[in-house]
Amino acid sequence: MTDDLLLDVRDLVVRYGPVTAVDGVSFSLAAGETLALNGPSGCGKSSTALAVLQLRRPAAGHVRFEGRELTTLSERELRPLRPRLQPVFQDPYGTLSPRHRIRDAIAEPLKVQGRWHPADGPARVAELLDRVGLDPAYGDRRPHELSGGQCQRAGIARALASGPRLLVLDEPVSSLDPSVRAGVLNLLAGLQDDLGLGYLFICHDRAVVRHFADRVVEMREGRVTSG
Amino acid sequence: MRSRIRRLAGAAALTRLCCLIAVLAAVGLLPWLSGRDPALAVLRARSAEQDPTEEALESVRRDLGLDAGPLSLLAGWASGLLHGDLGTSWVSGTEVLPSVVSGLQVSLALMGASLGVAVLLACALVAPVLVRGRASAGAWAAMLAAVPEFLLATVALLVFGVWLGWLPTSGWVGPQNMVLPAVALGVPAGGLLGRLVADALPAVLDERWVELWRGAGVSRARIAGAALRRVLPPLVPQFGMAAVGLTGGAVAVETVFAVPGIGRTALGAAKSQDLPLLQGSVLGLLALGLVTGALAAFTRRRLLGPALRDASLALPPVRPVRAHPAVPSALFAVLAVTIGWGLLRDPYAVNTTARLAAPSWTHPLGTDGLGRDVLARLGHGAASTVGTAAAVCLLSLLVALALGFLPRIAEGAADIANALPPVIVGILVAAVVGPGTGGAALAVALISWPALSAHAAALVQEVRASAFLTAQRAIGASPLWILTRHVLPSVAAPVARHALLRLPGIALALASLGFLGLGAQPPAPEWGLLLDESRAYVERAPWAALAPAVALALLAGLAVSGAALARGQRTRRATPAPVTKEAPVGV
Repeated sequence: MTDDLLLDVRDLVVRYGPVTAVDGVSFSLAAGETLALNGPSGCGKSSTALAVLQLRRPAAGHVRFEGRELTTLSERELRPLRPRLQPVFQDPYGTLSPRHRIRDAIAEPLKVQGRWHPADGPARVAELLDRVGLDPAYGDRRPHELSGGQCQRAGIARALASGPRLLVLDEPVSSLDPSVRAGVLNLLAGLQDDLGLGYLFICHDRAVVRHFADRVVEMREGRVTSG
Repeated sequence: MRSRIRRLAGAAALTRLCCLIAVLAAVGLLPWLSGRDPALAVLRARSAEQDPTEEALESVRRDLGLDAGPLSLLAGWASGLLHGDLGTSWVSGTEVLPSVVSGLQVSLALMGASLGVAVLLACALVAPVLVRGRASAGAWAAMLAAVPEFLLATVALLVFGVWLGWLPTSGWVGPQNMVLPAVALGVPAGGLLGRLVADALPAVLDERWVELWRGAGVSRARIAGAALRRVLPPLVPQFGMAAVGLTGGAVAVETVFAVPGIGRTALGAAKSQDLPLLQGSVLGLLALGLVTGALAAFTRRRLLGPALRDASLALPPVRPVRAHPAVPSALFAVLAVTIGWGLLRDPYAVNTTARLAAPSWTHPLGTDGLGRDVLARLGHGAASTVGTAAAVCLLSLLVALALGFLPRIAEGAADIANALPPVIVGILVAAVVGPGTGGAALAVALISWPALSAHAAALVQEVRASAFLTAQRAIGASPLWILTRHVLPSVAAPVARHALLRLPGIALALASLGFLGLGAQPPAPEWGLLLDESRAYVERAPWAALAPAVALALLAGLAVSGAALARGQRTRRATPAPVTKEAPVGV
């Protein structure tokens, strides 16, 4: 339990009613490192991701983030910590509100977390859009007016707006075309180099995992099989 | 999964029971709820010349048991009810039970006859669909279903009773008395039944088995029979609701044709503040509705058998009849022009020299019995009716939004609200707060929310399940932020549009209460009231009755075509969004 560990997961168990989706999974992750969770669909990768994010409370086990135990915190106590661990989901259209402009979706974390200033807020949003390789003019569009890759970049910008230390990437490129996939992966790699982010990278594509991850944890039927 | 369904059904059953008990308790507590001193009403009714001194009132109160407080009043009424004792009428001093029983007999006969009319009409509407296989009789059937009973009764009375003189217009002597009331009560119900079946049939006839049977050489008649057998069971609950609606329609029809049924008894008792008789007759009407509902459930179980338990016999989705927006727009334009023109005129100006004048340039729609301009009254009546209907819409929208977040509680309450026709709720509310626009609005609001709340509940469920709400929690948004910024805005707008489209239907319900004297009071120009007032001199001035009747029919048309338009829109929006093609980033 050294201090340079960003995330330390021990004996994690996630249940949905009588079904045990994750059964005693352990792994740890340092800042600036990419750890891949790899396995067939239904093996509990995404449930692990949700439990790490505390969006689905685990039935048992420990999730330590930056040295703090998250599983014992109440929803209210968790709220100030949430900006530091951000998700990027598989379906880029589903995670952005269809009714809001991209600009507002990216500004929303700033507003929710009380870091929005009318003077420099819009410039901050434009900077984030630029950082993920989107023309700031795209800020006026709504999610359905963007392509899947553009939308996923907007989702990454929104995650960056919170100022995270850890990104939980739940199949971030699985729904994208192979040509666009490389662009998004390169963007993620560049962000990691610049910001020193930790990535928990969930993916079922072994080729992508081998190319992108520092370490790989293999999962099958809710358990870790190697890693 | 199954245990969850059972738990949900249990919660709904519990709220259903609670709501039923609440309605019964409200009926039982009527004397206490009505607030105004019933002792005064009783004293006036019993001996008009006696002064309402404090001692006399006190003795009446003791007599009625009003001094004991609400709980013992309720207990006394309930124990009397269990012994088959409904008390004695305050006005006539006779037992309530016999008049309720005789009223029920008359009403049952009338409803039986009107059910016959309804089934005949429904067969006539469904037959072309079965024979030709495709075209839906939708528009006509929907129109018939939307015409309120009181309007149909008045028009039938005018045409066949007064002008043609074919049939008696009032009383309850022989079978000839039954024809017009049964038609007036049965046609809207038949239109509804016919429309439900005719809407569902084309999709069923498109199912695979029909082709298979045809290929195997099964006769058309047997296929038609099997298709009906397939369509009917899932629709039985709605048939049950239509039958329950008959109890509400019976009040209006019995009043128009002076049929001594239970509905007319209830209305008369409400107007004369004869609360024991009112309690007894409303109880009779409720029992009638509940028995019909139970019969419907029983029939469904017999028809479906074990398939019901698996809830697997749902009908294929109805293919929406693409309503052309021109129809509601045209109806709206005609109504709006008439109303706007009428608004410029004075609805209260009495001109005794120009009573019952025929339409002319000075009075485009003629004048009524007091020489008031019919067009002006129509216009101003619309303004107040639409205004009240808008308020009711808003109220039921708020209720629906609140209950949309509590679907389990809402479901049971919605069952009871669906089982209560607006007229009966109107009678109860009028008995408590007195007849008036506010009471009528409250009555309609009390039962107009279920459709909206079901829509809201579906939307809430959809939004809650969406990934972007999870994404909201991930950025540390509070539940209040998520509710006010994301859930409410995505639910409120579609439900509000839905509520707006129900406005004509709500206005019709308000007009029917006005027609029965439970809503706006004279000299207010309310459409239902206009129709009621003009009945007195309809032979001499038919236009005075015709104008509100036509306006109400237009409103019914607007209600139907607007609802069809909304249905079309909803199904269109449910189709998944087109998949966007991937393009290089940073263009």
